Amino acid sequence: MTTESDARDELIDLAADFYDQFAGGSIPEMTLPTRTKSNIEYDAESGVWTYGDRTSTRSANSVRGARKLLKAAYTIEFLANQLDEGRSSTLRELYYLSESWDNDEAQFSSQDESNDLVEDLEIVTGVTREDFHMRPEESGATLMGPLEIREQTRRGEREIHCQKDVGEGGYQIPNNPDMIEFLDDDIDFALAVETGGMRDRLVENGFDEAYDCLVIHLKGQPARATRRITKRVHDELDVPIAVFADGDPWSYRIYGSVAYGSIKSAHLSKYLATPEAEFVGIQPEDIVEYDLPADPLSDSDVNALESELEDPRFQTDYWEEQIELQLDIGKKSEQQSLASRGLDFVTDTYLPERLGEMGVI
Amino acid sequence: MTSFQSTIADGEGIAEELAEGQREISIAEFFEKNKHMLGFDSGARGLVTAVKEAVDNALDATEEAGVLPDIYIEIEEVGDYYRLVIEDNGPGITREQLPKVFGKLLYGSRFHAREQSRGQQGIGISAAVLYSQLTSGQPAKITSRPKGQSRAQYFELIIDTDTNEPEIKADEETTWDRPHGTRIELEMEANMRARQQLHDYVKHTAVVNPHARIELREPGLDEPMKFERATDELPAETEEIRPHPHGVELGALIKMLEATESYSVSGFLQGEFTRVGKKTADSVIDNFRDVHYGRELSWTPPRAHDDRDVAAAVTEAVANKGKAATSAFAEGVAETVAGNDRTSRAELATIVGNVAETVEGDTAKTFGGTVRENAVDAAWRAITGVDADGDADEETDESAAGDEDADSPLVADAYALVDEATSTRKDDAAVQAMADALTRRFLNLDGGAFRITRDDLERLVADAANFVAEQHDATFGETARENVVEAFWSRARTVPDDPPKVRDIAGDRDTSADLLAAMRTTDILAPPTDCLAPITAELVEAGLRKEYEADFYAAATRDAEVHGGDPFIVEAGIAYGGSIPAEGSVELLRFANRVPLVYQRGACATTDVIKQIGWRNYGLDQPGGSGLPNGPAVISIHVASTNVPFTSESKDALANVPAIEDEIELAVREAARELKSYLNKRRSMQQRREKQDVLGKILPEMADKVSEVTGRSRPDIDGALARIMNNVSVEREVSDGIVTLVVENHSDVNEQLEITDIVSAEPTDPSDGTVVDMDGEWFVQWKPEVPSGDERELTYAVDDDAEFEVSVGGVETEKLTVNT
Repeated sequence: MTTESDARDELIDLAADFYDQFAGGSIPEMTLPTRTKSNIEYDAESGVWTYGDRTSTRSANSVRGARKLLKAAYTIEFLANQLDEGRSSTLRELYYLSESWDNDEAQFSSQDESNDLVEDLEIVTGVTREDFHMRPEESGATLMGPLEIREQTRRGEREIHCQKDVGEGGYQIPNNPDMIEFLDDDIDFALAVETGGMRDRLVENGFDEAYDCLVIHLKGQPARATRRITKRVHDELDVPIAVFADGDPWSYRIYGSVAYGSIKSAHLSKYLATPEAEFVGIQPEDIVEYDLPADPLSDSDVNALESELEDPRFQTDYWEEQIELQLDIGKKSEQQSLASRGLDFVTDTYLPERLGEMGVI
Repeated sequence: MTSFQSTIADGEGIAEELAEGQREISIAEFFEKNKHMLGFDSGARGLVTAVKEAVDNALDATEEAGVLPDIYIEIEEVGDYYRLVIEDNGPGITREQLPKVFGKLLYGSRFHAREQSRGQQGIGISAAVLYSQLTSGQPAKITSRPKGQSRAQYFELIIDTDTNEPEIKADEETTWDRPHGTRIELEMEANMRARQQLHDYVKHTAVVNPHARIELREPGLDEPMKFERATDELPAETEEIRPHPHGVELGALIKMLEATESYSVSGFLQGEFTRVGKKTADSVIDNFRDVHYGRELSWTPPRAHDDRDVAAAVTEAVANKGKAATSAFAEGVAETVAGNDRTSRAELATIVGNVAETVEGDTAKTFGGTVRENAVDAAWRAITGVDADGDADEETDESAAGDEDADSPLVADAYALVDEATSTRKDDAAVQAMADALTRRFLNLDGGAFRITRDDLERLVADAANFVAEQHDATFGETARENVVEAFWSRARTVPDDPPKVRDIAGDRDTSADLLAAMRTTDILAPPTDCLAPITAELVEAGLRKEYEADFYAAATRDAEVHGGDPFIVEAGIAYGGSIPAEGSVELLRFANRVPLVYQRGACATTDVIKQIGWRNYGLDQPGGSGLPNGPAVISIHVASTNVPFTSESKDALANVPAIEDEIELAVREAARELKSYLNKRRSMQQRREKQDVLGKILPEMADKVSEVTGRSRPDIDGALARIMNNVSVEREVSDGIVTLVVENHSDVNEQLEITDIVSAEPTDPSDGTVVDMDGEWFVQWKPEVPSGDERELTYAVDDDAEFEVSVGGVETEKLTVNT
């Protein structure tokens, strides 16, 4: 990836572009791919979804556009200084920090705005946020399983075994997973789990030990670091990835962002997405097959399912079949609903059966 | 009850008793008791009304004399009373007329004239005199100096309320410094509570009479209010016009008929009315014939296969004219009749007459009156089956609706018309029954010529329809009846009878009414408008400009229209912004014949119209979407007419006449459209200014920031700014003694610019421009047209150490970026 000085140079180059536009008597602007569902395309080569050809322009032509670009100039300065000083900050800190800028017009009005701007800068400069030393607020995944790593921390190198050297909570990955080096492993496959309850159940039941599995806790919609580590585990350790989530449309999106990349960070799909990841469940089919306790689909669930049918990422035979089945039965189930068959059902029966079907074990 | 009974019982002499108490009331006495009708209902209002009447008179008098009005108004406190002095520079009033003008109610030159003037009834000023004498006991003191006389005449007079005659208290010669004019001094019980209305009246008078100079002094003013004139142009002189035929009423018409010297109706119409020439008079007379005499129904001639033979009938009716002449005559009549689609009795008579003339010429036989009459009767009988004496062949009786009737040749004719007039769904039997019923009724008409007025025809058709409905259970509804009436009426012929002489019409109320109806139904050109003197849009605006300091003015004058025979013109003006107060509703100025209307705003048609216009469309705030709009605006409306319809004698409010209301609305909307586009433009300029303000702050900061980050010197951003603002940018480049002004037009319209560069040294070789030496400074001027998106270079050569100052015109400053 890029070095600190590379990242800084990219930012300065962008500022210089603005400068040149001014000096040339033209209106400063910044062109970005349009970041909507309709502008993501499947990249056959890498197997992930990235932005298409449509672009939007942030131009100083309007008051809104001018404010955006002014904020961009201030943010560039801030990031360049941060890189100079070798420090880092969180996205939220950037939002609050803007309050200290001498210019009212440059201050962010919401954190969404500062988050979006950082993403804009990533896209235009081709440098990831991590390389700007910007951290998200939420922490990344925890890992539990037979994997030994070396982490480059501020306080020196640490070698950690993700089963033996950690407590029940597992190993907490850093915000920039590229700071980790894989040393040794005994992993057959990795299981990315949506909810904390299910992860704890698997660990308590010793699933990681029994099946030589790396349990990755996704913590809901996975942070970038989580998706990055998942991809690295798959690519570098050459193990299959299975995603285990709830049986509802929101969880399918979690799977989608692990496997195909998210719409907002489609510019990083090649770096974050693991197209080989497979969905374990809960499948709509499982709700029927295992007769799981289920809730009726709400209106927003139905809308989400229908919108997924139109989402290019989900236009595969498997997903169309599953989503249509779910719309048909009108039900959804959580991972924990497996407990209706006993606490061990998931580790003794469900997962071995499903993973067997998928050819993972 | 009992007392009443007894009064009646022994009330033999009561009428006489009452008669003793009955006497004529003088007009002056009447108004003494009804002051409010003339606007003298209170001391406060009386003062305003007296000023108004005197000023209106003064303005009328000066304008009539072609003098620019110079009017002086003074109000003074004199003990318990107020003294009102009004002076004008009018032509003065002769010694003979003066007492009557001021001392007799309903004396005036205007009442009978159809001409736009402020005063109309000749009541106003004498009512003020009356009011003053009633409240203060003082006579009116009047000084008048007619033009060209060396001395002025001074009168003191009061009105004898019993006789409505002036009573002269003093009459002497005096000197006066005005070369000509009139001065009236009235003392009256009054108060200044209506000061605001008084000021409004004077101010509004100044607005609407921009050619007048007015000065007002009153005790509440530290210094006199002076209104200077905005134009030296007098209002166009108005012509008196004769009444318009659409504008007279029956009583007036009878009076005119009695008074006229014309004998014939045609002469009367042409002589007494405006817009009536020979052709129009003929149309009126034709309409009069239709109304008065009725039309004659016309019928189709017999067809070839018909057994009704016109030629045979005529031949039979002619005796002793020789075979050849008789046959030529009979054939001629028959052929002509057959050649016409339809014929009425009168037309037949004309045909017979014409043919007789021809045959007489050809054969030297004489076809005298009797022969012709017989021939007409015989031919008519052949065509219609109606007997010579005008009676139908036999008396018919409805119940015994005989076969004979069905045989009448008219039935087929009537059937064709009824069938044509009614919808195709009417069943044949009903149409046939209707035709039968109508024919029977036509045959019963007197005279055999089937002469009937439209009203009678309508009644007859209705009667027949009722009969058909009863007997045949077939309905002829309202529309069907109307169509049937129209079918017959449109084919009926106007009769050639001469209209009665004027004298006879005047003596007969019904005939007069017929004439009036005929006048009203005739299409006649609208009355001429030279009897009106609109202020003109230009001067409406000038008047507003003079008295209101606003940002925007618009005015509109409509074309003349007519209501009730009186032409009128509506004008509207709008002033907006500036120092006009923004709070509350807009100020509405109402004028009628250049007189401000001060009272009864709520009762006025102008107010009603303003309230129902949707002002939000025009950019004014209007709470609830109706009612008077709010905002810093003045709306002025002027209605000029030979007869302004007021709601009352005090002339405070316009009556709701639809024709006038429509014109008011159109005039106001016309001016309001200009206001709207002004406000839109202002709004977009304001947005542009706001955008410019924000961007003008943000972009330099952004430029600073990027230069800071990149470590370069601050970039020049004016070009970018001009482009963003769709602006016109003017930039100076100087190199090697050559000055170049680069004009770039980033806007989306072509710009016509005027660029002047003021140079401290003499420039040479200017491109296209002109150079003017002004005391050691040189003005280099160009007037380039720069198309949208294009640029121009303006150059000249000059010493390197010269100093410059450029000014750019022809483009709004908001749209201009100058960087020199």
